[in-house]
Amino acid sequence: MSAGRVLFDGVWKRFHRGPAYDSLRDLIPAIMGKTGRHGTELGADDFWAVKDLSFDVQPGNSLGIIGGNGAGKSTTLKLLTKILQPTRGHAELRGRVGALIEVSAGFHQDLTGRENVFLQGAIMGMPQALIRKQFDAIVEFSGVGPFIDTPVKRYSSGMNARLGFSIAVHLEPDVLIVDEVLSVGDASFQAQAFDRIRGLVKGDIPVVIVSHQLDRIVELCTECILLSKGAVAARGAPADVVRQYLRGEADEALEASTRIEGLRLDSIERLDREQVVSGAVMPFVLRGSTQVRVPDYVQVFIVVSTLASSERLYHRAVPDLRREGPADFEHALQLQANLPPGQYRLETQILNELSGMLYFGPATFFDVVDNSGFTGSVQLLMSSHGG
Amino acid sequence: MTAMTTAATSTSEEHFTLIGVWRDLRRSRELITQLTMRDLRLRYKQAVFGFAWAVLMPMLLIGAGLVIRMAAFKNAPPGTAPSIGGIALKGWAWAFFAGGMNFATTSVLLNVQLVTKIYFPREVLPIASVLTQGVDALVGGFVLLLLSPWLHFSVTPALLWLPVLCVILFTFTLALGFLFACANLFFRDVKYILQVLLTFGILFTPVLFNLGNWGNGARIALLINPLSSILEGFQVAAVQGVSLLSSIPAPDGGAPLWSPFYLLYAVAATAILFPISVKLFRRSSVQFAEFY
Repeated sequence: MSAGRVLFDGVWKRFHRGPAYDSLRDLIPAIMGKTGRHGTELGADDFWAVKDLSFDVQPGNSLGIIGGNGAGKSTTLKLLTKILQPTRGHAELRGRVGALIEVSAGFHQDLTGRENVFLQGAIMGMPQALIRKQFDAIVEFSGVGPFIDTPVKRYSSGMNARLGFSIAVHLEPDVLIVDEVLSVGDASFQAQAFDRIRGLVKGDIPVVIVSHQLDRIVELCTECILLSKGAVAARGAPADVVRQYLRGEADEALEASTRIEGLRLDSIERLDREQVVSGAVMPFVLRGSTQVRVPDYVQVFIVVSTLASSERLYHRAVPDLRREGPADFEHALQLQANLPPGQYRLETQILNELSGMLYFGPATFFDVVDNSGFTGSVQLLMSSHGG
Repeated sequence: MTAMTTAATSTSEEHFTLIGVWRDLRRSRELITQLTMRDLRLRYKQAVFGFAWAVLMPMLLIGAGLVIRMAAFKNAPPGTAPSIGGIALKGWAWAFFAGGMNFATTSVLLNVQLVTKIYFPREVLPIASVLTQGVDALVGGFVLLLLSPWLHFSVTPALLWLPVLCVILFTFTLALGFLFACANLFFRDVKYILQVLLTFGILFTPVLFNLGNWGNGARIALLINPLSSILEGFQVAAVQGVSLLSSIPAPDGGAPLWSPFYLLYAVAATAILFPISVKLFRRSSVQFAEFY
């Protein structure tokens, strides 16, 4: 059993808006060993970046942390890696921390790859004996082999990142912290990197993953926390929390589109409950209301993407939308799931083509289970009628 | 399994004690070695003269001392002019101090990309800087050793004081280095203040002159600076061959040219400054990532 442990107990972190020199007022009490200008209270220009965050990740478990921009994910990461100290509460990490964050931050451009491997390893707390033992494996995994004695300033940014990543995953950590690492390198390296992370996550260490790639969170994590404005908005099984997050995003946009465009999309719903095989036709109904007559330059789009990743497979305006208002409408849609098996997200968007304003409407999910009817091109066919 | 333990927490009070710092640094020995090697490699990687630079700085100081000796002490009575050996040793020690302070002061700010991204005990940065300068000084010291037949050192048991003085000088430099390194992150003027101090400090520290070349009042003023005692100690032990536990009375009857209390003063100043600087550095290092 690994000795690693990640424990957050009621962690709060305060930040200050405004000019940096104000932190001087924090600095002097900090040096004197006191807690700060306002103690642990909130001052006039202060705000809580993280509010009362608690979790306990045991060896073998993995926690996913998701949330929109400014939700407190980056601050949580910095608290996790001890770069920031909590204003209140207790943050504890035990064991050697492998952080897949800024994996090449310690590289010096004038030093060779070999020199940087030892330097970066030392900065990450990796014993030199372990680096020597793993050196060949690190170089091989990174694929920079012939250039290992070349200064890294001659490396491409991809080589830089691959070497950094390779060092980090060979650290044999007691605790693993992952931040958006799958943006490293090209597609084949990403697949290789992901396999490596999956291996580490399935191992007997506590893992925390912070990511926008929600499908990765669903796949890798045993628990998930949704942060919103620094506080925990939801926690539980990753698939549930991810769905809640996506719905929450839609709710805010709904309010805005009603107010600004006079068009409100309430739901998109599948009419049958059958399993979808590739090539099958799925009936949907889109419900909403118009507050005024909606002009033609305001369009409703249907977007299909793989679950929660940003890869968009299909994007098309809904034809023949009822535009008189004020009225409620129900609009029937038929989509042919010409897709390989997998989990998909069907989302609605309202676009004002004149102003460029885009609103995310309600979304739904569907699973495609069988491959027999998949003809090879990812496409949906839409037929549409209002009513 | 959910029982709370306070061991190994980042926010515990132990983190801020000297023992806490010591434990962190013991665990970071390899990091200190790697950072020192990085700094040494970088210093000489693209430099044409390579390690010759480590020799050049003390040599220039020695040269300046010799010029002053010839110009100002041409007609001085015998025994009063600063000796070549004294100038060489004190110039070498001053070059270490000035270089160490320069590198330590900028160490945290130069590595701010690391400091805001990866956690490690931040003390390693000034330590590695002063160690790097220490390696330079070793190279310079080796050259002094080669030149020693011409430097007229006194080969007496008093030479054994040199390593002691080196330890005091190293610790004093490190202590001031901690202080300036964290101050430089919060106030960017510190870098310039240091340049002023180092430029004029050489005039107000017995580097190119001996204590005895000043009048009584000036001697007392100079001795307020603990560095004066340390540097003069080099000259007293190696050139005059006098144990640092004995006294050398001044011909003018004022403050003695050497006294065991000078040594005590340097040790005491270092012993007081060092823990204060370490604690200040550690306390403020919590704010490094936030402040930058």
